[in-house]
Amino acid sequence: MARQEKSLKSVMQMEKMQLNKNTKLWGAGGFRENRYVRSNCLENVDSNWVILPLTRWLQIVEKIDGEILRKTGIFAEAGEDIKPLLPFLDVVSVIALNFPKFSDGRSYSTAMQLKQTYCYRGELRAVGDVLIDQVSNMLRCGFDTLEVKHQLTQIRLKEYSKEIFPGFYQPGARLIRTSSQNRIWRSTAVR
Amino acid sequence: MYRYDEFDKAFVTARIAEFSDQINRRLVGEITEEEFMPLRLRNGVYLQLHAYMLRVAIPYGTLSSQQLRKLAYIARCYDRGYGHFTTRQNIQFNWPRLVDIPEILKELAEVEMHAIQTSGNCIRNITSDHFAGAAADEFADPRPYAEILRQWSSLHPEFSYLPRKFKIAVVGAQTDRAAIQLHDIGLWLKRNSSGKLGFTFYIGGGQGRTPMVAKLLHDFVLEEDLLSYTTAIIRIYNLYGRRDNKYKARIKILIHETGLQKLREEIEKEFAVLKASELKLHQSDIDAINTYFRAPDLTDCSEWHYNLKQLRLNDSAFGDWVNQNVTAHKHPDYAIVTISLKSTGGVPGDATSDQMDTIANLAEQYSKNELRVSYHQNLVLPHVALGDLKTIYDTLLATGLASANIGLISDVIACPGLDYCTLANARSISVAQQISTRFSSYERQMEIGAIKLNISGCINACGHHHIGNIGILGVEKKGTELYQLTLGGSAGNNCAIGEVTGRGFTADEIVDAVEVVINTYLSLRQSSEESFINTYRRIGIELFRQALYGTTRKIS
Ligand code: SF4
Repeated sequence: MARQEKSLKSVMQMEKMQLNKNTKLWGAGGFRENRYVRSNCLENVDSNWVILPLTRWLQIVEKIDGEILRKTGIFAEAGEDIKPLLPFLDVVSVIALNFPKFSDGRSYSTAMQLKQTYCYRGELRAVGDVLIDQVSNMLRCGFDTLEVKHQLTQIRLKEYSKEIFPGFYQPGARLIRTSSQNRIWRSTAVR
Repeated sequence: MYRYDEFDKAFVTARIAEFSDQINRRLVGEITEEEFMPLRLRNGVYLQLHAYMLRVAIPYGTLSSQQLRKLAYIARCYDRGYGHFTTRQNIQFNWPRLVDIPEILKELAEVEMHAIQTSGNCIRNITSDHFAGAAADEFADPRPYAEILRQWSSLHPEFSYLPRKFKIAVVGAQTDRAAIQLHDIGLWLKRNSSGKLGFTFYIGGGQGRTPMVAKLLHDFVLEEDLLSYTTAIIRIYNLYGRRDNKYKARIKILIHETGLQKLREEIEKEFAVLKASELKLHQSDIDAINTYFRAPDLTDCSEWHYNLKQLRLNDSAFGDWVNQNVTAHKHPDYAIVTISLKSTGGVPGDATSDQMDTIANLAEQYSKNELRVSYHQNLVLPHVALGDLKTIYDTLLATGLASANIGLISDVIACPGLDYCTLANARSISVAQQISTRFSSYERQMEIGAIKLNISGCINACGHHHIGNIGILGVEKKGTELYQLTLGGSAGNNCAIGEVTGRGFTADEIVDAVEVVINTYLSLRQSSEESFINTYRRIGIELFRQALYGTTRKIS
């Protein structure tokens, strides 16, 4: 019985590693190394860089020292209340917001609140069901990096150089209004 | 009306390229139908019973002659020679092929049209008063604000995957002709006591399974805060709206479950931070859009009044048409003409390519190139000189478009129903056809007077049956099509949801049942001045029920 459980555990471990291996981190300038490991706790993790669930992180934030804190990121579920996090935004290095399904758009609003309203300056990461067709939305809502599992999205992102749109009708991250004549915001990178 | 600039053109072109690529990826199987569905939906492509359906946006119902001609052309070349104008001021093509859609979108782009966000869980086409910019009772033209909202909501990064679709309507006259209280956000443009323009915000209206009249959220929001306040509302909805059950995902349910006061507090908190953001509209932004909507130059001519009077006396059918289909214009020597797409026995809202061409020509010659689509599924010529009415009437008569029935019982609003729609329980079109045939006599219709009759093929209520004075809803019971009757619904200033009379009627009984309702009204009204809805409000539903179900033998 115990052995069975153990082997099941190791299968799950394997699958998780597989998943991790297939998941790539993308941001400005292309794919990059993902230093962080997602975990439920800081113990027994073979990396110093860990992303903890928001509630977990809040439990330990007062207890750990600054150096470890600097290497500890946060994972928030779609729609999870981020208000308790606000006093700590200066010390958080990465916040990963989940998209349980690409059609669940809650994390776009959370991203806007974090970046725009609360001026969070650290890395904002999209995780979960990240697909090529939502990349523009994510970037404009202030996401800096995307964790991509979807094969085709990885291929497409490899070729991605800039927005296919000449600009947008709303303000957004890395966009500036280019004229007082019309309400159009263009990418700062292209100009 | 609004004209695209270079940027708008490039934007729509990029969108077509993006969607064409997505269609290709679907056709070669790179993406699954599940992944493709939300992409095609937000480009207006549905999969219907027999074919794909393309819904093209007609922003706030405003069209130019050139645009209507293009729609006629598309119907002729890519469809079966007709299009269907919807209760959302859009047009639907029922038979395009998926492979042709990129081509159709390019054709549309040539005349500054698109199908962006005509479906999907995003902010949909903004609707408005079909008499905007022309109506005698207008405070201010709502279209510039509708255009500002249209631009702002296009490919919105934050609001493209909302819990459910989101509909916004805006009006700016004394009469609410756009049923704003049946939208997720209803905006009423007004001036406050110090002469400033702003909006009364209503939220949480809607039909469907749980019909609700929108609630007053804010009395007066300054025009400069239009986008900030709207953003605050939709952000709160996006974060807290239910996603576990699509029937409970509209903002009306969030309001119902959370309470308006609590939600208002949340919205105000968001608004406080957004108010000073780049979303703020500067006077120069508003002026820039306003220039596109300047009223056309209209020449005075008081003689027309006398001539018109003579013509009406000489031709009583023309006189009837003027009575029913012509509305007062801001300019006393001009009029607004509503062209009925509700001929006897016809399909409500359908127009053939030839009819569209004829109407486009009329608009070009006699209405400053402008047209409107009403949510009642009719077309409007907004700026017609009184002196041209007879010529227009004669042309319409020759094309079978001169039905003098606006606002009468045969001006039926109906969704496509089981003839096209995958979700339908029952046919809507055939019922509409039978009703317009049964009540085809003009004298009879005049005797009945002002009335709204609406038909939906299922509870999604695209035919707005909840707000018909008489509403008909297709339901399915044990494999047969049945029709439920509701009474007392009403759109506009006295918005109300109708009440169900009782057990449903079969396809053979439903028109008789409507007749029973009408006869009951005629026998109980205080005078011919008392409209159906006023009689209903005075006496309630009981006497109608007795007439309907006490006389079932007569019905069957
Ligand atoms: S009301 Fe129902 S049947 Fe009619 S168009 Fe809408 S979804 Fe289809």
